[in-house]
Amino acid sequence: MRYVMFACSAVAVLSAMPATAAYHLMTSGTPEYVAKSGLSVTPSQDWNRLGSRPGRNAESWTLDGLALNDMTFYGGIGNDETLFRDAQKKDMPLPHFSSTMLAPDVAQLFEGSYRVANNTTLMSVDSIEPAQVGDQKGFRFTYSFTKQDEEVKRKGEALGAIVGGKLYLLTFEAPAIFYFDRDIASARALMTSAKIGPAPKSN
Amino acid sequence: MILRRAALTGAALASLVRPALAGDLPVAPVSVAAQLPSQGLAYQPQDKVERGIWMQMDEAERKFRTSSFVIRDKALNDYVRGVFCRTVGDANCAGVRIYIVRTAAFNASMAPNGMMLVWSGLFLRVRDEAQFAAVLGHEYTHYANKHSLQLFREVEDRSAGMAFFGAFGLFGLPFMLGELGSAFAFSRDMEREADAGSVTLLAKAGYDPMAASKIWEQLRAEQDATAVARNVASRKDKNGGMFATHPPTAERMATLKDLASKQAVVGTPVTNRAAYMAALAPFWAGFVDDQIKLNDFGGTDFLLTSLGTEGWTPQLYYARGELLRSRGRPEDLKAAIDAYRSAATGVGAVPEAWRGLGLALLRNGQTVEGQDALRKYMAARPDAADKPMMTMLAGG
Repeated sequence: MRYVMFACSAVAVLSAMPATAAYHLMTSGTPEYVAKSGLSVTPSQDWNRLGSRPGRNAESWTLDGLALNDMTFYGGIGNDETLFRDAQKKDMPLPHFSSTMLAPDVAQLFEGSYRVANNTTLMSVDSIEPAQVGDQKGFRFTYSFTKQDEEVKRKGEALGAIVGGKLYLLTFEAPAIFYFDRDIASARALMTSAKIGPAPKSN
Repeated sequence: MILRRAALTGAALASLVRPALAGDLPVAPVSVAAQLPSQGLAYQPQDKVERGIWMQMDEAERKFRTSSFVIRDKALNDYVRGVFCRTVGDANCAGVRIYIVRTAAFNASMAPNGMMLVWSGLFLRVRDEAQFAAVLGHEYTHYANKHSLQLFREVEDRSAGMAFFGAFGLFGLPFMLGELGSAFAFSRDMEREADAGSVTLLAKAGYDPMAASKIWEQLRAEQDATAVARNVASRKDKNGGMFATHPPTAERMATLKDLASKQAVVGTPVTNRAAYMAALAPFWAGFVDDQIKLNDFGGTDFLLTSLGTEGWTPQLYYARGELLRSRGRPEDLKAAIDAYRSAATGVGAVPEAWRGLGLALLRNGQTVEGQDALRKYMAARPDAADKPMMTMLAGG
């Protein structure tokens, strides 16, 4: 007998990122609007933007590949929307953002989304504190997680704010061994440069 | 972020199995007792197919041995092994390795090489030691009767089958052979054997043999609750779900109860609920937290309500508050406030309930009361990692 719930018996492991995903160079010093929103950042070193998006209002940047350093921007997640694509909506639905959420609720939403999407119980939010996103009041939290079938312990840091009922979130995560410590300064520089304003017309 | 999704594809499965032919004979039920000597400590795989499966499972076990998902707490492991050995007998349990895996779903399996996996989600879904023993006994019967090996022998193209193993990933691999079973009608007979085997083992060990039928009733109801809350059809009778290879429930429940009523139990049958609850106690809050964060409101609500029939504890109230607050509809927040209030005071009060209460009150527009609750949380947990945020929310 198999006791299998929530599609935990993995058969075909599908990656959200197609093998042919195109990369675009994000040049140091050039301000960029990200995640189809009014969220903008200015990189302090060159980054690579992935062509495919984790969700409609999200995009990811990397230095050496997402598995090693993953900067993801969520730009204006609206009320009752998920952070990223709800790929298994029927059997493993993702939690939804609510405009009334407080900072700890957002951290919990993020944790829950990762637990469901990565099929893991080893995910925790380790600290949370007030912070600024540009001139907006927001929050910063740290997290750590390990995915099933991989066993690589990853650390992450997130900066976010709810502006006009929409969630703006910048997250950086990398393997706890070597990569997180090496790249966190570059990621924080991106977060420090973040500004939330009206979305450009081209978006 | 990186997303990796797992999905069961029926087409991929179907391509590997030979369609059942009219002349195929069902697997003849083999008694548990007759098979037991074949799986002792000294047993070695007998042919190429069996060696192949063992090799795959040995490799999976090597990874589980160092996996961060395996719970290594000595007391819990000793307890689980103790129940297993009592159920199957010391001689039969000697060579079996048990791994308790932190995964919030109801699952247990036993691989042909003697590796048993128990998922942490199982602990919340069985109510006492007898029910726990029923699941272990069921899995042991599959193992003793070499059911997964019989299934794998039916795979037409074994080299493709081996590649198929890879697609399951480590956590799916031990359950892959079971999944394969859903393609064969005769796997129903294996389930009947395992059911019968578990009832026999329960009775021999002095456990209440009725425990086996109770588990399946509880799980069926939980599947319904999940489906209602998600507004989808219940998966309880669907292929690929945990009930896929089970005979129709009514028949199965009746058969299990009938078998149990005919069993002569040694001495007075026991359920050992107190011992079970004591063993689980240090892990209960963590396992419930895993369950709440699955975003399965209906299933979790059903589970908590079921546990509440034996008495609502502050821990249970806290879990209910967390569940309601995580969904966060206006009516949920109001109900969460009540639940947190019950959790925050009295014997066994949960200090974190003040945190949940404060956050729920703030979201509900009750700022003064909410800030007061958060201050009580910080007084109770002065070293909390979220103190800077809570201080701000509490008004500085």
